[in-house]
Amino acid sequence: MKLRKFLHTVPMKIYLLLLAVVAFAFFSNDFGLVDIQKTAIILAAGIDKTEKGYSLTAQIAVPKGSDRTTGGTSSVEIEAEGQTVSDCISLIFSKTGWVPKLVFCDLIVLGEEAAKEDVVSSLNYFLRNDYMPDSCLLAVCEGKAGELISSKSAIDDASSLAIEKLFSDAAVRSGKVVTNTLKDFAIDYYGVSKSSYLPYVRMTDQAGSQGESGSGGSSGGSGGGSGSSGGSESDGNSEKIYSAEETAIFKNGAMVGLLPREQTLAFSLLQGNMSTGTVNSEEDGRPVTLTVMKNEGSVALKTDGTPRAELSLEVTVRLCCRGTTAAMEDISSDSVTPTIIRNTEERLGGYIRDLWQTTKDCGCDIFKLNRMLYRSSLKQYARWKDTLLDVAEADVSAKVISMK
Amino acid sequence: MNKISSRQIYLFLACVAPVGKLILLPAQLANFSKNDLLFPLLAHLLLQAAAVFCVLLLAKKGQTLYDLLVRAFGKIVAKMLSTVFALFLLFAALLPLLEQKLFVQNVFYDTLPSVVSFAPYFLFAAFVCAKPLAGFGRTWDILGPLAAVGLIGILALSAPNADYAALMPAGASGGAGFLKGAAAGFPWFYDAALLIPMLGHIDYKKGMAWKGALFYLLGGAFVIFFFATFYGIFQETAVNQLFAFSATSKYYSGITMLGRIDYVFIYALALVMAFYCALPVQGCAECALQAYGRKKYLPTVLGILISALLFALSLLLDYKFADVLKVISGTVFWLFPVFCLAVPALLLLFLIKGGRRETA
Amino acid sequence: MKNITGKLKGDLKELKKLLPAEDTLTFEFTAEKGLAFALIYADPITDKELLGEQVIRPLLRYEGEPAAAEVGKKITSPELRTEKSFEKLCEEILAGNPVLLWEGADEGIIAGTKKVFTRAVAEPSTDVVVKGPREGFIEDVKINTSLVRRRFKTGELKMDMLEVGRRSKTVIVVCYLEGISTKQVVEAVKKKLGEIDIDYIPDSSYLTHFLASRPYSLVKQVGTTEKPDTFCAKIAEGRVGLLVDGSPIALTVPYLLIEDFQSSEDYFVPPYRATFTRLLRLFALIVAIYLPAFYVAAQLFKLQLFPVKLLLTIAGSIRDIPFSPSLEMLLVLLVLEVLNEASIRMPKYVGMALSVVGALVLGETAVSAGFVSTPAIIIIAFSGIGLYAVPNLIEQTSVVRLVMLLVAGSVGTYGIVLVTAFVILYLVTTENFGVPLLAPFSPFRAHDLRDSLVKYNLGSLSTRPRLLKSPNKRRLR
Repeated sequence: MKLRKFLHTVPMKIYLLLLAVVAFAFFSNDFGLVDIQKTAIILAAGIDKTEKGYSLTAQIAVPKGSDRTTGGTSSVEIEAEGQTVSDCISLIFSKTGWVPKLVFCDLIVLGEEAAKEDVVSSLNYFLRNDYMPDSCLLAVCEGKAGELISSKSAIDDASSLAIEKLFSDAAVRSGKVVTNTLKDFAIDYYGVSKSSYLPYVRMTDQAGSQGESGSGGSSGGSGGGSGSSGGSESDGNSEKIYSAEETAIFKNGAMVGLLPREQTLAFSLLQGNMSTGTVNSEEDGRPVTLTVMKNEGSVALKTDGTPRAELSLEVTVRLCCRGTTAAMEDISSDSVTPTIIRNTEERLGGYIRDLWQTTKDCGCDIFKLNRMLYRSSLKQYARWKDTLLDVAEADVSAKVISMK
Repeated sequence: MNKISSRQIYLFLACVAPVGKLILLPAQLANFSKNDLLFPLLAHLLLQAAAVFCVLLLAKKGQTLYDLLVRAFGKIVAKMLSTVFALFLLFAALLPLLEQKLFVQNVFYDTLPSVVSFAPYFLFAAFVCAKPLAGFGRTWDILGPLAAVGLIGILALSAPNADYAALMPAGASGGAGFLKGAAAGFPWFYDAALLIPMLGHIDYKKGMAWKGALFYLLGGAFVIFFFATFYGIFQETAVNQLFAFSATSKYYSGITMLGRIDYVFIYALALVMAFYCALPVQGCAECALQAYGRKKYLPTVLGILISALLFALSLLLDYKFADVLKVISGTVFWLFPVFCLAVPALLLLFLIKGGRRETA
Repeated sequence: MKNITGKLKGDLKELKKLLPAEDTLTFEFTAEKGLAFALIYADPITDKELLGEQVIRPLLRYEGEPAAAEVGKKITSPELRTEKSFEKLCEEILAGNPVLLWEGADEGIIAGTKKVFTRAVAEPSTDVVVKGPREGFIEDVKINTSLVRRRFKTGELKMDMLEVGRRSKTVIVVCYLEGISTKQVVEAVKKKLGEIDIDYIPDSSYLTHFLASRPYSLVKQVGTTEKPDTFCAKIAEGRVGLLVDGSPIALTVPYLLIEDFQSSEDYFVPPYRATFTRLLRLFALIVAIYLPAFYVAAQLFKLQLFPVKLLLTIAGSIRDIPFSPSLEMLLVLLVLEVLNEASIRMPKYVGMALSVVGALVLGETAVSAGFVSTPAIIIIAFSGIGLYAVPNLIEQTSVVRLVMLLVAGSVGTYGIVLVTAFVILYLVTTENFGVPLLAPFSPFRAHDLRDSLVKYNLGSLSTRPRLLKSPNKRRLR
């Protein structure tokens, strides 16, 4: 009887014991956890190649405290140099005491020097890290990535947030920029084409900027003692603006060329990305700008005989503006003339041909022709995989339709 | 609360069972079969559906595994075979538990947590063993729809980012790729074996066997779609994506605005997975209880013992998952077809023959 | 068991011996023909005016034989019984029913002139409705039975009276509709009540312990209501109801968890509105339980659960807080619980001051002093409000919320998932009187979903819930 009574109360005792264990764990609060107050929330990282190995500049978000009257995001940039990227991250931890967390890292910028070698050696830490989102944006910059990340933006509190604006969906739809993520870059790198592309960011001084204006902006480094960088001494305080109208192209992970803005536009159009942007043309030697209302770009590969790439484009446009003055009644009746259409077709066709030539010259298969071939026919792929870009010619067609 | 209804079995087969295949298996198959990963998957699903058919046909007898074995081989052999089957389930429980542990450490934490963070799961596993089997059937009424919502949610967020053309060209990895993938995939397909301890507790309805197999294939269709989406998203890097279903949905464009809303579905599936991974543990306890008698506190005590053993193993093998995976899916993978495919078929064969003899 | 002897002096002496309390009085009087009577009554609970009017006055002119049947004819009280045993007579006296003895009496007469102290039938404060009946049960079981009886003018309504409590002899009325409630449940309820061996039942909540299949469980297993219309509706569905003397809360079995997500008002508003509010209650409850836990777990273990901008806002808010996120949340939660407890118990005139202290001093000042952060206050406030969306489950859900918070602070989000798994498994394996607690969801009963979280229109609810296994299935023709 006593035993039965005892057994009856066993579950309750177990529950109480569990509650005690949970309460102990709750109050002791230490299972190696890294809570929000011990964390460095890395918003962006810039990677440069150095003699020692790598230099990583992390832009870390700094909470503004409860008295948030100004809004925005404060940040601090910490630089560390090590043999590997992981080594740099560890150094950031030892310099700041904050545990660097990459879960919110939305941007990785590679410096020009780093991009010239196989960038996957710089990126493989991020690819291996389970706690790093591989959906983050990837870019290459002119000069050093550390300087770009540490620069003071004229349009946002943190440079990374300003740069990310360049890569927004709206920017992609405008056709002025093409973007890529860490995951897609890795897929291209490990895929059969072994070619990819990244937006190329340039930084310029904002004309007439006031060095100390703005609220809660980037602090531009954490002081000399911590080994951080706050941009070059001469222009450390000047506000910067960024542009990413060019595109770096990669073969086997190394940057092999740069697409100028016209070829970037052509690439964007062929990808079918563009839906709201503008295209410049001319009529009788006078500039005309057209709004792209619809864009159907396609890249195909013909494999009967010697492979041929078919790069075709069909854009529906509307007149946006002319570089001349006109009477009000003329504006209302103005439309895209056959001359404008012809000129635009020629211009876009030219961009595409230039783009094709650049990719051939660089041996960079950014149109993923090898992948197309592989997916369509293993036999053909085996035959052409090493020489495809060399032997293939392109049939370019650019058709412009005026919106009625 | 004596019987598991046919509806609950269907829900298990169509909604709960697929969840166990969504963590490591996609990467494992992508590793061996590359873009042909759907072929070994399909083969496994068809084989399992056939095994499910056999097990559910055995359920028609209304007898437990032990009773069926006694009928076929006598008491002593039945005890031995029940014990062997219980040990197999214990072995089968190991991989999903370690897999789930890694998944939890990755998906539920920002930094690698302490090893004890997964320890509470073993309390749950013990708790499951203490509950009646039919009670577990009732959970499928809740978990089935939850799993379906989770899976559909994940697929809805993932599918727009998938390039399904990446699955081409079919047959690129060849017969060797198929066979390697099929062999490596065996440890994830033991659903028919999970039903075996439930024999005698299933409320058999006419046509349940073929309906069960059909529901299993229906769930399998979702798994195939998920695998296709998974490969369409990660393509050549798929092999590196160890926690598949937590990875595919994060590219959804709304996430930048709303945060990781896909976690709602991921956590729903993790909840279902907690139950699914406890099934072989409970099956192991059930087989032992059938063979050696069911005393009042024995299920609880047995559950605690089995869970403690698995906990100890999980600590012991904490940093050896790759080796465990290699052994289970590379060396002793044949155990799975033996116990999950051959056992139900043989048992059915014996009973049909025995039945005929009895009738004669 | 001693019986009365007919010798008045001796019988009175015996009664006095059994009831020595000073509030038990004896009134002796003699009829015109000289027959001596004595009324023994418990002074505080006997209606003396009624006693004089209905018993003493008619008997003063009594001229008949000293036989109980003859004497009884003269008394005008509608509630008369006779009893020989002293023990039984004592019980009646203590229940407020005076006992009449006389010289040569073969039996004592018990007059039903109990003085009933009751409050008026009023709207229950825990279940206020905008549309629909506003009556609520009160502490008097007779009035409560009358409120039920008024709603069922049929002989099928059975009200079986039982007494439970060795000393309190509390009256319990088992209400059910014959032919609609299952006999097994009625018998099981009566059996369980009959097995209770306790000296005092102060309230119906005591009975829930004895009626539950898992008495030590945190989970509610017996339905409760303060509204006669809800009580009757449940009986009409085939449930068995229990009215307990001294308690305004009636009990119903079998109980389904979903009942507490339904309000009586749901039946008086359009079905789409009822469905929406039921889903809203569920959502509020889920948020109330999980929000503080996820907030803490996300800060400690999984920052990704926050969008980055929200994370930075939170990080800014908690930067100068001296406590860890989990401890901070626990403190705010405890403060809320204390405030809640105090506001219920405090006199109403202090309540206003308390809300000022609670809202301003503890909220605003604590934030400005840097003890707690604004998001923590917001989270707990939202959780606190959410819990009251399902008032009948507050006792259980507030405990679950606390457990969730403790687990979230120690194990993180996976702990929350595991506790949820525990709760699900526990709930699905709980059943009472043969009906699973989580039905009609688990086990799934498509038919009974029509009045669960969703509410169909009345035309679609023509049959009773199948889970209750009523022998009479159709309620609407």
